[in-house]
Amino acid sequence: MTAATSARTEPGEIDRLTADGVTMRFGGIVACNNVSLAVPPRSIVGLIGPNGAGKSTLFSVLSGLRRPTNGHVHMGGDDVTKSSPQARVRRGLGRTFQHPELFTELSVREHLVIADRVRHGTRRVWTDIVTWRGFRPGSAEEDQRVDTLMDSLDLTRVAHSPVGALPLGMMRLVELGRALAAEPSVLLLDEPSSGLDTQETADVVEVLRRVVAERGVSMLLVEHDVALVMGLCDYIYVLDFGALIAAGTPDEVRNDPAVRAAYLGTDTEELEEAIDRSSADLDEETV
Amino acid sequence: MLEYILAGLALGSIYAIAAASITVTYVSTGILNFAFGSFAYFLARVYYWLHTDHSWNIVEAAVVTLLVIAPMMGAVLYALLLRHLRSRSALIQIVATIGLFVALPPLAAILFGNETINAAPGLAPEPVHVYHIFGKAVSMDQIIVYAFLVGIVVIGTGFLRFTDVGLRVRGLVSTRALASLSGINPSAISLSVWMISTALAGLTGVLAAPTNGLTTQGMTTLMAAAFAAVVAARLRSLPVAVIVALLMGVVTDVIQKYLPASGTLATALVPSVPFVVLALALLFFYLRFGSVQDVVAGGGALDAAIAPQGGGATQARKVQRAVRAKSNALLSFRSVGSLVVLGVVALLPVIMCGYWLTLVVAGFIYGLIFLSFTFALGEGGFLWLSLISFSGLGAIATAQLETVEGWPALPALLVGALIVTPIGILLGILTIRFGELYVALATLTFGLLVETLIFTQNRFLQQGVGVSVTRPGWTATDKSFAYFVLAIFLVVAIFLVNMRRSTTGLALGAARRSQAASTSVLGLNVVGLKVLISALATFVAALGGGLLAMYSGTALPTDFPTFTGLVWLAVLVTVGVRSIVAASIAGLAFTIVPGLFQTYLSGTWGNVPSVLFGLGAIGLAIDPDGSVTSMARRLEDLFSKIMSRRDADPDSRPERPEGSVSRGAGVTALAGAGRKGRS
Repeated sequence: MTAATSARTEPGEIDRLTADGVTMRFGGIVACNNVSLAVPPRSIVGLIGPNGAGKSTLFSVLSGLRRPTNGHVHMGGDDVTKSSPQARVRRGLGRTFQHPELFTELSVREHLVIADRVRHGTRRVWTDIVTWRGFRPGSAEEDQRVDTLMDSLDLTRVAHSPVGALPLGMMRLVELGRALAAEPSVLLLDEPSSGLDTQETADVVEVLRRVVAERGVSMLLVEHDVALVMGLCDYIYVLDFGALIAAGTPDEVRNDPAVRAAYLGTDTEELEEAIDRSSADLDEETV
Repeated sequence: MLEYILAGLALGSIYAIAAASITVTYVSTGILNFAFGSFAYFLARVYYWLHTDHSWNIVEAAVVTLLVIAPMMGAVLYALLLRHLRSRSALIQIVATIGLFVALPPLAAILFGNETINAAPGLAPEPVHVYHIFGKAVSMDQIIVYAFLVGIVVIGTGFLRFTDVGLRVRGLVSTRALASLSGINPSAISLSVWMISTALAGLTGVLAAPTNGLTTQGMTTLMAAAFAAVVAARLRSLPVAVIVALLMGVVTDVIQKYLPASGTLATALVPSVPFVVLALALLFFYLRFGSVQDVVAGGGALDAAIAPQGGGATQARKVQRAVRAKSNALLSFRSVGSLVVLGVVALLPVIMCGYWLTLVVAGFIYGLIFLSFTFALGEGGFLWLSLISFSGLGAIATAQLETVEGWPALPALLVGALIVTPIGILLGILTIRFGELYVALATLTFGLLVETLIFTQNRFLQQGVGVSVTRPGWTATDKSFAYFVLAIFLVVAIFLVNMRRSTTGLALGAARRSQAASTSVLGLNVVGLKVLISALATFVAALGGGLLAMYSGTALPTDFPTFTGLVWLAVLVTVGVRSIVAASIAGLAFTIVPGLFQTYLSGTWGNVPSVLFGLGAIGLAIDPDGSVTSMARRLEDLFSKIMSRRDADPDSRPERPEGSVSRGAGVTALAGAGRKGRS
């Protein structure tokens, strides 16, 4: 399957992120086998699969933390396979982690400030120590950008709280805010609902939809919550044992026999009912 | 050749026993014992005291030392300290065990006497009988060492492989959590391991004393050699550690056959073998795996899953304070308090005179040097155990430029520090991808290598008198020199404050906490940031070394041994490693506290300050912030309480801000965020 061309990209537009025939081997183990996928502009793409399917490995390859054994990764049509994670961030790749990777010594606002400065004033990381900027306040433009983002994520009220003192749901929002402050064109979300209850999950879904609508960001999300993926994503890829076994719209994936057999199990009717029930609950919460 | 191999096997066997003990302790308890050398020294000193000073026979002295006192010592240290370290970060574990390393030798001096013992009896009766194997001489001491190694390997392997307790230990090594669920008591196993490993440390010390001497330096070198084997075994593989240790011993003796008996080459190369092995092992791992990260002992998937995330309410309060202190205006409670303390410190040269003024000046210089630790550990988050070597190199460079090349004092000082800085940058680049333990081990090795290869060169040593250095003419008096040093300290301190408050500081804070997020979310160049900090820390350490040489009038490399660097670290962490004020207080404490003991108490008490500094570092296991920072926090709390009482009038009390986070507020807080979005 050449999935890189399967996702629905409008004519004349270039996919924000593509994986072409990515294979990742660890010794004799093939974690990803010839996987191809595409993330078109302004879309939310899901990546699902059972435990051990290779989702996290593929995420590491896409974000540049691992270099694939074979295959290529493109951003906006350019080959970034050999680019470092930093270079991919500069090209517009953002990400969150399954277990929030936050800087516990910094406040919520500082998370957004450092991400904003990395985007708008990369040199300041190096020049501030000789230009004595530490003793001067931040610029008005920076304040405005950070405050607007905090407001849109409803983080203003905890702006000066240390992230180490926040509940998990808030931490996920801070992670998202930090990623957005760097103004990415495509965002990788690693299990954004992990550890959240139904209400919190519904809140996160709503925030993600709003971000795509308002900022035009593309998203690729790995998620175990099938109901969330079915309800949120425009297009879904399914991995099993490192190989891509299906790709399509939520309805297409839901009815794909290979997915049912490999991912959902054999007792399909019962599971289908469960998914439908969960999806209905999610829709009800977010409407 | 056979003679050299036999001698090398004896040396290698001692390394192997030490390496086996350190490895088993690490994999089963999760703590790399940086105090191993001091354990060995302390227990060998006990044996010497019983056997030589009190004429006990060998068996009685050995049994009491190794089978009674050593296990008891291990048990007591486990109960008081080591069991608390399991849940601490690698940095705290290293620093706390370094505290033990610093405290035990002076404690031994207090208990058993201060005499220097360059050769002590081992376990063989004296005069030591010499046998001949294939015509080559082998002493009874050597045979005993071989026998102990074989016995330990055979008994240890049999115990671990074929006994129920051995199975439990192996289970604990694989996963502590699952072992607990299977009915194994991890604490009991850890206690037993510490008792046995302390006994093995004692055995190593007793076996090494006849050849290495009964000195802290000898035992430090022994420990460093054992660490080389442990690193080659990637901190886990017992057979590899034993084999590498044996090979190191053999190589050390065999190369002597091919080197001139008395020459600088032999003097330099022979003690360098373990350090070369360590460097080669790290280089191999780096080229093979791309990085060398610490292996978490007893760490299965379940252990990772149940590991505490964050530190609960107490940790949250501490983080809250740290953030508040950073984000508040310049005139916060903490910054005003710091200025007051620095003001008092600045008055000391006016108040003090004579002997006490000399201590104050030296204290100022040490305060500056301690700021290099503040850069490396406090800002960079990496523990370099070789900063004292950079101070020594700074002193040497300053002396060479000023006295040999005829430069004026001030340019010699600054350029001397700049010359040393690239060495620190290189060390930073080499160790940047290592885990915390490996960084500490690599820099400890680097320090010992500099001490062995460079500090022993007669060009710098000048038959033990060093190269003379003079101060700038306008700092001829102690008082003017004190203010000269204080001015440099303040410039560095202001630079540090600016850095912390700037984008660089934010980036460093991010890199310290999550390298993955720093690189793959922010796109930060973490390696570059750490190299920058390496350069700054090296420059400050070298500058301090140059000033120390200027003040004493001589650049003497032997004033900068690696062991003393560990004492410096202990002093600083006792007071507080991230605080500028703490660095100045630590510097003064390092000179004035011993001065007080020497002036007002008898000679026996002279070792007490070192014990206290060591205990202070051990105290990090309880309060990782250090005493000054901890006290400042308490004062800040008290101040806040007083202020809140004053504002207790309900009409004037500010309302709790909407959405402020409290314990258990997780769901509510996020739900609030969502509700706002939906409305």
